[in-house]
Amino acid sequence: MKLDDLKKNAKEDINKATLIKELESVRIKYLGRKGSLTNILHSIGDFPKEDRPLIGQTANKLKREITNLLEEKKKYLEESRALEWEDLSLPGRKTSKGSLHPLTILSQEIIDIFMSMGFSVVRGPEIETEYYNFNALNTPEDHPARDLHDTFYLKDGRLLRTHTSPVQIRTLEKHSPPLRIISPGRCYRVDTFDPTHSPTFVQIEGLWVDYDVSMSDLFGTLELFTKKIFGEGIRTEFLPGYFPFTEPSAEVWIQCPFCDGKGCSVCHSGLIEILGAGMVHPNILKNLGYSEFTGFAFGLGVDRIAMIKYNINDIRLFYQNDIQFLNQFNEIKL
Amino acid sequence: MKLNYNWLCEWVEIDMSPEDLASLLCNLGIEVEEVELISSDAIFNLDINPNRPDLLCIQGIAREVAVRTKKELKKTIDFSITEEKESYSQPELRITIESKDDCPRYVASVIGNLKVGPSPLFISERLEKCGIRSINNVVDITNYVLLEIGQPLHAFDYEKVGNEIIIRRAKNGETISTLEEEEKRLSDLDLIIANKSKPIAIAGIMGGELSGINESTNTIVLESAFFKPPLIRKTSRRLNLSTESSYRFERTADIGIQKTASLYAVHLLKKYASGKMINSIIDTNPNPPLSRKVPFSWKRASALIGTPINHKVVLEIFHRLGFQEKGNNDDLTIVTPSFRRDIQIEEDLVEEIARFIGYNNITTRFEYQTGTSVYFEGKEILQIKRLMASLGFYEALNIPFIESSWAKNHRDNPIELKNPMWSDKNLLRTTLLPGLISNIERNLNRGINQVSVFEIGRVFNKAKDEEEMIAATMAGNIPQIWYEEERSIDFYDMKGIVETLLKELHISDFDFSNCRDPFYKKERALALIINNQSAGCFGLLAFNPCKEDIYGFEFKLEQLFLASDKSIQLKKMYRFPPVKRDLSIVLNKETPYERIKDLIKSINNLDIQVNLIDVYKDSSIGKDKKSLTIRLELYHPEKTLTEEEIEKDIENIINRLSKVGAHLRK
Repeated sequence: MKLDDLKKNAKEDINKATLIKELESVRIKYLGRKGSLTNILHSIGDFPKEDRPLIGQTANKLKREITNLLEEKKKYLEESRALEWEDLSLPGRKTSKGSLHPLTILSQEIIDIFMSMGFSVVRGPEIETEYYNFNALNTPEDHPARDLHDTFYLKDGRLLRTHTSPVQIRTLEKHSPPLRIISPGRCYRVDTFDPTHSPTFVQIEGLWVDYDVSMSDLFGTLELFTKKIFGEGIRTEFLPGYFPFTEPSAEVWIQCPFCDGKGCSVCHSGLIEILGAGMVHPNILKNLGYSEFTGFAFGLGVDRIAMIKYNINDIRLFYQNDIQFLNQFNEIKL
Repeated sequence: MKLNYNWLCEWVEIDMSPEDLASLLCNLGIEVEEVELISSDAIFNLDINPNRPDLLCIQGIAREVAVRTKKELKKTIDFSITEEKESYSQPELRITIESKDDCPRYVASVIGNLKVGPSPLFISERLEKCGIRSINNVVDITNYVLLEIGQPLHAFDYEKVGNEIIIRRAKNGETISTLEEEEKRLSDLDLIIANKSKPIAIAGIMGGELSGINESTNTIVLESAFFKPPLIRKTSRRLNLSTESSYRFERTADIGIQKTASLYAVHLLKKYASGKMINSIIDTNPNPPLSRKVPFSWKRASALIGTPINHKVVLEIFHRLGFQEKGNNDDLTIVTPSFRRDIQIEEDLVEEIARFIGYNNITTRFEYQTGTSVYFEGKEILQIKRLMASLGFYEALNIPFIESSWAKNHRDNPIELKNPMWSDKNLLRTTLLPGLISNIERNLNRGINQVSVFEIGRVFNKAKDEEEMIAATMAGNIPQIWYEEERSIDFYDMKGIVETLLKELHISDFDFSNCRDPFYKKERALALIINNQSAGCFGLLAFNPCKEDIYGFEFKLEQLFLASDKSIQLKKMYRFPPVKRDLSIVLNKETPYERIKDLIKSINNLDIQVNLIDVYKDSSIGKDKKSLTIRLELYHPEKTLTEEEIEKDIENIINRLSKVGAHLRK
């Protein structure tokens, strides 16, 4: 009789349990060291001798039964807990996100390429003198080449640099060749502010001065660069150009990525200009006392390359700082 | 410059389409901006480099094409045109040049019996295709010669000029009324053509109204000159007067061509304007120095190109270009013609070789080298930019020109532009904030809830010229989302950014003090003090075009770099978890939390972390009072603290706090 009650109670307790830890209490209540069924099994000697086998058998059977029920229920509870429905489509908790400016991202990509090619990065002032911006670069006053750079002048006669080439002169004054440097930075030219012009832009200029640097080195360096920035398959063309600070001078054109070189409204019969370059004019090296060296220099507009690379048709977007624009760029590229 | 295809074909045989010709020109470095195909002709829009004035005419382009395609020029200007005088009805013309340096050559001829009228069709058509308006046969012929062989000519009405022409500097204050009926005031920096009494032309730029050609003109003085280029350029720029003529003179004319051009024009005037030469041509410099000698070494040339060059091929290019070599072996002297004044040094000759061999036929070379060390100036700036982006800020780049009203409210001495792009923005920025404020305004107006932007860039002032700054602004609401309520951005958002920035830059030795910068509202702003110097301020901005509050900061980057602790020394770590206790204290409203924190932390022999978990103000705790709940975390390096020890520490803390009138909340 007692065992029947015990069985009934145990079953009820197991049914009522909704948590795994409640099941554990049930197990302790009946099967623990001081559990009621354990007590019965321990006190089996108190029963009349003839009843003992039956009681023993029944109690042991009941122990197995409760153990099984507990196991089943535990399994059930575990399963039901895992299946409890949660709306996983709710948006995740986010930390706020910002980003680098696309011109910073692209500048860095370009800097990384040239650093891997042995170029160091140097910087210089944005307010410059006529001397560093023009005269030291073989562009004297009243030289028609000055028309190429419409310059912002300050009231004190100095100017905002129109290119980062002055940094090359400043570096060569301090360090003698051989050297390889690039100088990134903001430059200024008097210009309208429209989809294709801006009074400010980001430029990266490079300089390599050594014994016997040649046009082959110049073209090889820049061809490798265009491949790294636009992809292995890009076609690079070198055309003669003119800059007062280089001789011979060259322009670097690539196959237009918008029409794959077929010709479109953006390009020039399938080509698009991305760089100016040339062999450093010997006057410049001579003035610095480095006649025994040759070198090459190049300059690229980061804005222009960004427009080509990211398919941006309005240069003003870089300086209007719309978050809808800025949040489309990401530095991490895998 | 516009180039007429059919006219070019008159000079050189072209067996290719206009498109192919365009590509050939581009490969020679003559940029073709546009090819316009018109009935049985084509117009090329060329961008001629400033060092190649010889290409500013049909003849010049024809020379290049002929060299490239290995053809001979079909046309030369006939030098055998007779110079015979046909009549002496007028007295001789006298030319006086005050300074040979200003005008090394002046060729003048007098042509009479002219019938001024419309040009023959082929002349006016060619002129118009090249973008020059047809005026009358005499003026058109001067322009026709200019377009064809590049020498600017000018025709004066002889009757209005008289028999004396003086090439001299203008007197200060002297004036001239130009052909465009504009009065120009001149100075002694300007070269003029004058008669006995007054200026009749601004040399090389534009003629005067007085001596202009019209229907009643019978006799002209035809000028064909060479003026000193910088002189023409200076005057052209100062008077803001640029003409076909000045464009060529300032880039250097060909000093060998003045007489030829005159003869050619005379020939055309005879043919198309019934002109007669009535005077022999006057030439002030009949034997100008025509050639230039440039040293050249095969060895250096091939070293500069980087690949061996074939001497025979190069010499053929030189000969076709009109260059002659002297000497043999390695050291040569190359004699260049007068129309190639751009060839001055050996490197110029190398460029000619490379151009005609083709830049794309030069072998390219790059080898990676191991062991080259590189230096990256500006790396720290990139790192700070990345940090700011990770803190939720978008990087902005602003145009650094600001309105004077911004600078008025700022302590710095701004630098003014001489030629601003926008007259109201004539100052260089003295702070990055105006740009960043306008970025906030723009984005809020476009419906962005929360805007956080930063910029690293130079600011300018007379004391320091330029200084690199970092600045940021933030405004708007952090919008409601399912796990968080909406709230506006406030001072403590900005302070948190500043504190994180300082922590990430390993700057520990700093203080905050009162902000005196009028750019900020002083009740909601602090100054960052590093080494007893202000590095800048942060807080609520005082100048704000939006209805939302804008918080911002601006710091001197250099000062942050200097304060950044570059050495890392490992600090103590604790094996035993801390004991946590919360204390609610009541104190005067104006006692800063920082004071409480410092008091607790100053207790000796106590390893403790102090965190403020609640701030409470209510009349129930008393007017002018506030309650702070502080969570203390007590550490011990070697063991778990006992209850007794903890009680002692807490008591110690409470005693210490009572000194500033703080007591436990009941």
